[in-house]
Amino acid sequence: MHRRNKWLDGLIMLVLIVAACAMLMPYAWMVLSSLKSNMEIVSGSHTFLPSKASLEGYRTVLVDAPFGRWLMNSAVTSVVITAATLFTSALAGYIFAKHQFKGQKLLFILILATMMIPFQVIMIPTYLITAKLGLVNQLMAIILPNLVSSYGVFLAKQFIEDIPQDLLDAARMDGAGELRLMVRIIAPLILPMLSALGIFTFMNSWNNYLWPLIILNDESKMTVPLALVYFNGTHMVNYNVVMSAAVLITLPVIAVFLIFQKQFIKGLTMTGMK
Amino acid sequence: MNLGTATGRNKGIEPGAERAGRKNGRKFIYLSLAPVLLLFGVFAFLPIGWSLGLSVFKYNPLSGSALFVGADNYIRMLGDSVFLKSLWVTFKFVIIAVMVNIIITLMIAVAIQRIRTGWLRSLMRTLFFLPTIAPLAGTAIVWSTMFNFNHGLFNILLDKMHMAPIQWLSDPHYALYSVIMMTLWADIGYNIVLFIAGLDSIPDMYYEAAILDGASRWHIFKDITLPLLRRSMLFISVTTVVSYFQAFAQFQIMTKGEPFNETRVLALHIYEQAFSNSNMGYASAMATVFLLIILVVTLLQLKWGRTEWEY
Repeated sequence: MHRRNKWLDGLIMLVLIVAACAMLMPYAWMVLSSLKSNMEIVSGSHTFLPSKASLEGYRTVLVDAPFGRWLMNSAVTSVVITAATLFTSALAGYIFAKHQFKGQKLLFILILATMMIPFQVIMIPTYLITAKLGLVNQLMAIILPNLVSSYGVFLAKQFIEDIPQDLLDAARMDGAGELRLMVRIIAPLILPMLSALGIFTFMNSWNNYLWPLIILNDESKMTVPLALVYFNGTHMVNYNVVMSAAVLITLPVIAVFLIFQKQFIKGLTMTGMK
Repeated sequence: MNLGTATGRNKGIEPGAERAGRKNGRKFIYLSLAPVLLLFGVFAFLPIGWSLGLSVFKYNPLSGSALFVGADNYIRMLGDSVFLKSLWVTFKFVIIAVMVNIIITLMIAVAIQRIRTGWLRSLMRTLFFLPTIAPLAGTAIVWSTMFNFNHGLFNILLDKMHMAPIQWLSDPHYALYSVIMMTLWADIGYNIVLFIAGLDSIPDMYYEAAILDGASRWHIFKDITLPLLRRSMLFISVTTVVSYFQAFAQFQIMTKGEPFNETRVLALHIYEQAFSNSNMGYASAMATVFLLIILVVTLLQLKWGRTEWEY
């Protein structure tokens, strides 16, 4: 479609390849550092490559730290939050899209408005509320405030509004109850939106750092990002250990991303979610 | 006539059925919306009001004493040099990081979009997107070791080029830029993907017409691509500005606001005042100011974005 200019194309390609290599550099650094031995680091290594590959760092992380526990904490909280958010978003979205009740507009606007509120504004009262509920240092404290998502409700409403009313009326005529309607008719029709919302919700809660930092300080209750930083504080000198932990935490995320890449990119362009 | 009676009969039946249906519907609405609204109430609406209320108190959660001080917390901010510095640092960070972000992501997106081989194009997109899915806390730690003075990657590279090493994170001239560099690495993938989607939605015929008219590459970019990308551009700049205002993990982990508060962004300052110094009233007042700043900046962007569209 364009006048092709081989020279220009080549140059652009070259620049892109250099940029892509620069993007990969921190990963290479992370993996190579994780393979250095403690000796090498203490004696002050000045090289990119480890002089002799060693799995010492990984051994320390897996044996001396409750690594499995941290993974479990992250997995449990993220799965529960994602499942609940999908459910509450679809339910509320359905009600706002297809039902009428008093104060509906105002409520929806209020929910939308919370999307604009930065977490820094509500973190102090949220901490106080969670503390009053006696949940400090409990995984429940991570889960409870995150069971609903204003963005999720908004998205679900947008998508459910497009479902023809006739379809719902026909199902009601056949005697389907509201819940059955949700599960059998609405959920399958908004599946692409739900999977995008699910991926982003999962990722955000897996990577969340600020809220766990506020509410958790018991080592055994920590989620992965928090544990990693805590671990970094206690093993600062042995950065092969810290880098090993970073590798172990990053790899699963990358694997999941590579598997769901298509839905991920589609979800991002569909919802603009970050 | 027949038709009339038919609808008449239907009308006769419907109200009853509808009433029953509506009654069922009401029950369904209340039963299912109640828990959802309760959660929104307790963890969204209530905290906003509470935060505004807290901002006129001197409140320390450890002693549990709350003293009403009126506007004192707000007045105190005006004389608090650390707060004023953190405002300045926040704006500096947001402006530089957002501008550089948008320029490089647009350039990379245009370059990736020019690639004709399908797999190569998606490989490139994947490579640039990968860092966005890694936990930012982990990324910050990895980058801290890369910025290490004695054996970090950057100083190894400088050494290879026979240049003097740099105190990346503890020299006041470099610290903020080091964090910006890391933030860009971790974050550009989103905007690249969004820009590529925006570019894909521009119909080919505009380009074909321009090529027939003999327009130059630069003119095509300036007069077709950029104006038609305006929607993406507005969306991307608003979301990026809002998210960079709230940037926290990289500052808290990599620099803790040092050296000389050169990297003490407002998000970090509020956190430390509230949870390290237990000044929750004062922190809430700063949070209120923070909220106002974000609202005003977003509204201004939307306003400018819209007027520009209409031309």
